[in-house]
Amino acid sequence: MNLEKVIFGFFIIFACTLNFGFFIGDIERHELHHPMELFAAVVVNLIATVLKFGDRTQLGATHLATSLVASLQLVAASMVWVWQLYVVGQPMNAELTAVVVSLSGGALLANVFSVILLIGETLRQGR
Amino acid sequence: MSDLLFLILRRLRAPLITVICVYAISVGGLALIPGMTPEGIREPMSIFHAFYVMSYTATTIGFGEIPYPFTDAQRLWVTFAIYLSVIGWAYTLGSVVALANDQPFRIMVRRSIFNWQVRGLAEPFYVLCGYGQSGARLSRALDRLGNRLVIIDPSPERMAPIAVQDYGTPPITLAADARLADVLDDSGIRSPFCLGLIALAGEDGVNQSIAIGARVLNPDILIVARAKSTVAKVNLESFGGVAVINPFETFAFNLGVGLRSPEIVQIEDWLTATTGSPIPPAIQPPRGRWVLVGFGRFGRAIAQVLDQEGIEWKAFDPREETEADQRLVHGDYTENVLHDAGVEHADVLVAGSDGDSVNLGATTLARRVKPDIFVVIRQNQMQDKSLVEAARANLKFVQSEIMVNECLQVLKTPMLGRFIAQLRAGDSAQAAAVLARTRQAVGDLSPDTWAFECDVLQPGMFFAFFQRVGLPFRIQHLLEDPTNPGERLHATPLMLERDRETRLLPADDTILKPGDRVLFAGDDSARRLQQRYLVEPGTVAWVCSGSEPPRGLIFRWLQKRRARAEA
Repeated sequence: MNLEKVIFGFFIIFACTLNFGFFIGDIERHELHHPMELFAAVVVNLIATVLKFGDRTQLGATHLATSLVASLQLVAASMVWVWQLYVVGQPMNAELTAVVVSLSGGALLANVFSVILLIGETLRQGR
Repeated sequence: MSDLLFLILRRLRAPLITVICVYAISVGGLALIPGMTPEGIREPMSIFHAFYVMSYTATTIGFGEIPYPFTDAQRLWVTFAIYLSVIGWAYTLGSVVALANDQPFRIMVRRSIFNWQVRGLAEPFYVLCGYGQSGARLSRALDRLGNRLVIIDPSPERMAPIAVQDYGTPPITLAADARLADVLDDSGIRSPFCLGLIALAGEDGVNQSIAIGARVLNPDILIVARAKSTVAKVNLESFGGVAVINPFETFAFNLGVGLRSPEIVQIEDWLTATTGSPIPPAIQPPRGRWVLVGFGRFGRAIAQVLDQEGIEWKAFDPREETEADQRLVHGDYTENVLHDAGVEHADVLVAGSDGDSVNLGATTLARRVKPDIFVVIRQNQMQDKSLVEAARANLKFVQSEIMVNECLQVLKTPMLGRFIAQLRAGDSAQAAAVLARTRQAVGDLSPDTWAFECDVLQPGMFFAFFQRVGLPFRIQHLLEDPTNPGERLHATPLMLERDRETRLLPADDTILKPGDRVLFAGDDSARRLQQRYLVEPGTVAWVCSGSEPPRGLIFRWLQKRRARAEA
């Protein structure tokens, strides 16, 4: 067993699952999407991104790209939330909740690609 | 550049993850602990506020407690978070500083900058491998000629003075082993602007690998390499396409030429010296008996030439491993050994060991017993220059001087090398005639030399040969001043090359043919004025006929009409 592979796989799948957890639920109802879960998804995605730094293979580059996309989307989603609550000063409404959740849905897609890459790499190595 | 970025990212992976974790724990905790609003409602801080508070707390700015005064539970957590974040940042910043001081990292940064600089070079340049005495001299000479330089030497200390020396344009330097293919490749030898590569490393083996590597990477590039041993020279020459210079053999060969006809050496020295140097004296060493101090590569090269000339010599050297030869005396450099070698009856002393003090000592001892002895001295170290000069030897061998002269000949005007080879094949009378004629035309100071090629792809030459309906184009046309009617340029033709045939000192009225190459000697302004004949058909027409043809379409048509009307 390779510890590096465990940590790497852990963070990639964790990023995906957290993302999924936040995304699931009625897209317009903000009480179904907890900010703490979005926060956790951002943090784990950032860690997953940094873990992918420095791998110079083609696969490594694609891995890094998917993580960058996911982080960007999640950060954008949290910015929308912060904007509505503290800059506009209004509670979350249905439209903006839909924006936040759909942004996280995009990130989820990127995270799914990341997991597919991980699985593909594991299967290809066959050991 | 991407190498560098990846290295930074890889090295900073752990610190970055630490910072992310520290922030995640602090912000997450702060957002979970309940606070108290002024209205007395228990409510945790939002994630946004928690992140804001942690951002200014972790960076030790500290704005206070917002949005409402903290509860004690929150204060407890913030206290913990402060210590945690200070540790996290200290670790991260420490890693960044350590990376910046890391030797491999700095080498990589240096290399990236070097690659970037070389790739940005958009003017002709030479690559010089090896920055010793010869390398330093040659680089300054090439710089003065207006060429950019890329210098590679394994020792950064040796190249350190480059930064403070007065170069016209600062050379691009890299401390690396030029034998490595990637170093050679990065030095720009495949660039279209690269004029050539010069290998002047201390060891022959190194020069061999550099020259061969460069030849493989770029089959068209001009390569000059130094080889101090005959074996290395033969090896490189058989590899092909590499100009090999052995300074010892070159000097010995010139000494041999000087024994027969000193004028040839004199004109060679004069033409290859720095522009503006006074004419050197013609020195003819006496044939008599020769004593060689030191029988290394230098002594051996001279002995070989002496053997060819049938001159009697004796040599001594303290090294035991030298081969058995009756003329070779084993012994240290003391007065007794000098006597054994027969210095009293000698006419020439060659102080050619690899120690300057030994050479100076032998010179003094020999002069004591025979004051009028002809001395050939070898200077090894640059810092002994004034001492060796004070010895007032008749001939001086300085390896770096020979290297610079020979390299410049190969790099600057290859035709000059062929001209000198022609002179060497001839006799003293021919050399004397060449010298007399050149001095008459350009004066006593060392002239510039350059080749003028009648390249019909150039508009001026195309006009001269094909558009003037069969009128002859002569060397004298090239010697006329294009700015001053009737004035002659300060230049004289030395040699004409046509196909495989060469002619020394062609007459001014020689008719030129397309593809001819003429070697001229003269001053720099003459060279620049002469270049106009290559590119300006109008100038060619003007020197040939005295009137400039109309350039524009309309004026040409008008002229034709007028000519027809006159007819």
